[in-house]
Amino acid sequence: MSKKQLQDWRSHAHNLEQEVNKVVVGQHDAIRLITIAIFSRGHVLLEGDVGVGKTTLLRAFTRCIGGGYQRIEGTIDLMPNDLIYHTYLGEDGKPHVTPGPLLMSGEDLSIFFFNEINRARPQVHSLLLRVMAERTLSAFNKEFHFPHMLVFADRNQVEKEETFEIPSAARDRFMMEIPIVIPQDEGIMESLVFDTRFHNVDALIEQLTPDIVQFNELNDIAYQIQSSVEASPTLRKYALKIWQATKSPAEFGIKIPGVDINRLVLSGASPRGMSMMLRAARVNAWLNDRDAVTPEDIHAVLHATVAHRLVFSPVYEMRRTEISRQLLQAIVQAVSAP
Amino acid sequence: MTLLRLFFLVTLNIALVGNVWANDPPSPDMPEAMYTLKTTEPERDVGYTVGDKLSRHVQLSVKKPYQLIETTLPIVGYERRYRGQIIGIELRQIQHGKKQFKDHTEYTLDLEYQVFTNDATAKMAFLPAEILKFQGAKKDDIVQIRVPSWGFRVSPLAVFGAVKIEQDMSTYRPPFLIQPYPEKQKLVACLVVLGISLLALVYILGNRAWLPNMGKPFAKTYRRLRKLKPETANISVALTHLHQAMHIAGKTSIFSDNIEQLYQQQPALKNIDAEIKQFFQLSRAVFYENKLNQLDATETLAWLKLFCRRCRDCERGLKAIR
Repeated sequence: MSKKQLQDWRSHAHNLEQEVNKVVVGQHDAIRLITIAIFSRGHVLLEGDVGVGKTTLLRAFTRCIGGGYQRIEGTIDLMPNDLIYHTYLGEDGKPHVTPGPLLMSGEDLSIFFFNEINRARPQVHSLLLRVMAERTLSAFNKEFHFPHMLVFADRNQVEKEETFEIPSAARDRFMMEIPIVIPQDEGIMESLVFDTRFHNVDALIEQLTPDIVQFNELNDIAYQIQSSVEASPTLRKYALKIWQATKSPAEFGIKIPGVDINRLVLSGASPRGMSMMLRAARVNAWLNDRDAVTPEDIHAVLHATVAHRLVFSPVYEMRRTEISRQLLQAIVQAVSAP
Repeated sequence: MTLLRLFFLVTLNIALVGNVWANDPPSPDMPEAMYTLKTTEPERDVGYTVGDKLSRHVQLSVKKPYQLIETTLPIVGYERRYRGQIIGIELRQIQHGKKQFKDHTEYTLDLEYQVFTNDATAKMAFLPAEILKFQGAKKDDIVQIRVPSWGFRVSPLAVFGAVKIEQDMSTYRPPFLIQPYPEKQKLVACLVVLGISLLALVYILGNRAWLPNMGKPFAKTYRRLRKLKPETANISVALTHLHQAMHIAGKTSIFSDNIEQLYQQQPALKNIDAEIKQFFQLSRAVFYENKLNQLDATETLAWLKLFCRRCRDCERGLKAIR
């Protein structure tokens, strides 16, 4: 793939962002991060309250990149087979089996949205995590492949009743955890409430230009991006120092008010997490029309790619969101380059 | 038996006769008008103990025709007695001089005595009086001059028993003087240490700089950059120094995406915002885009030095030179 093609794809990516920004307002950062995740082929965990536009956001992306979009709601009685097939009694009075959300779109499945993943049982998590890691599924004595699938899951951090905390090993499979927050701009807030355009989501999504990028070409372009964007020795050294700081923040003189920094971190970022961070940073550099990763690219994706991988002492887990933000901010301030 | 008694008597007689010779009969004193006597005694009269040496100088001016009979000079090593008791002061050395003048003769005597006595407490001792005899014009005209004795106190080698100084009001004890020198030396040493400590404190509180505008990060970096030769490898070195200066000035790691934090700490640097952005572009090209070899070392280093100087000027509150 030539440089010209990479440039074309860059403009497609920017068009994609612009289109989604038209229907999902006030979420520029989240849209940029999801775009990065799409072009680095990473799964995303969305974190946000109810009704902030997570589903609209994903449906908008699905329309723009084409392919199948499937969604399932996490509930306490959801079982793994509910993702694979449905059984029902047909009009002929006989039992019938139809494909579930995972199999319904076949290999064309591009986005699978798992709503409120923390309400589902660990058995369901296990199945989903295997599909995320291997993009394959064994069912009906057959192997199904989902080469273009990205999983977007969402969890509500506020409600804790009838939920199962996603273990750190499962969180680590997600490339990013992206916070979806209510926009603070008063003009945007007013539009969301009073502009009738935003009241009908289906009509809103219909306004978008479909298939701006082809979902079945994303794997190739993602590979090309990773191959063409360089990481210099200085950058590698910086990334390794960042990694070390997530494991031993005290060694870098990092302090957080009200937190015993020596007891805070049980486990820092994993090697998989750091490789995903670099993948995302490369895509960010590509989106900014650069051939090499810079520390600024790492900063752009650091929180989204690393925060959910950190394992804190149980005493600090309740304040995870706040502390992880402070910790990563302090790491960026403490680690210098060159 | 008779022979033995005779031998004993003869021996006793000889001994008695010898003793009479040894203690010469006193001669008449020389008239005072005929001589002047001046003695120079040791500086102190206390604090001597066994083994100490004392020197005494005697200056004697005798009118003619009297001449000193040198055989009457005191004998070195001779045991001196007072009322039959050995006084324990012994002459160790004697030197005498003589100068003839028209009408008188001047004699000088340098006497060195050594103390051979001691006691558990301080006791009185004295340099013995010396009798010097002079021959007049006639053979039987022999007169004498008495050089007076000189008293002093001999101290014990160690204090015997417990001493209560309040009860020991001996007149032999000199007044206790406070020796100021060790205290003065300690005071001076303490003042020196205090001064050095204060200077070190000022230096540390001044962020390791003697003057307010000295030793600031860009000033230090500018001094380092000036020493760099125009070589390609030195571009990376200069950039690294400048990055470190920015980290220190901004009190955090400064990147192109958080320059505002640098401006918060050093608002004057906002005046050269364009140059700072150019610096980050150059840094990116060198450290991340592998374009170091495409740069002209002389030109680039010259620009970096100029940039650093502008940063230093801003740091000092001066208007950046354009």
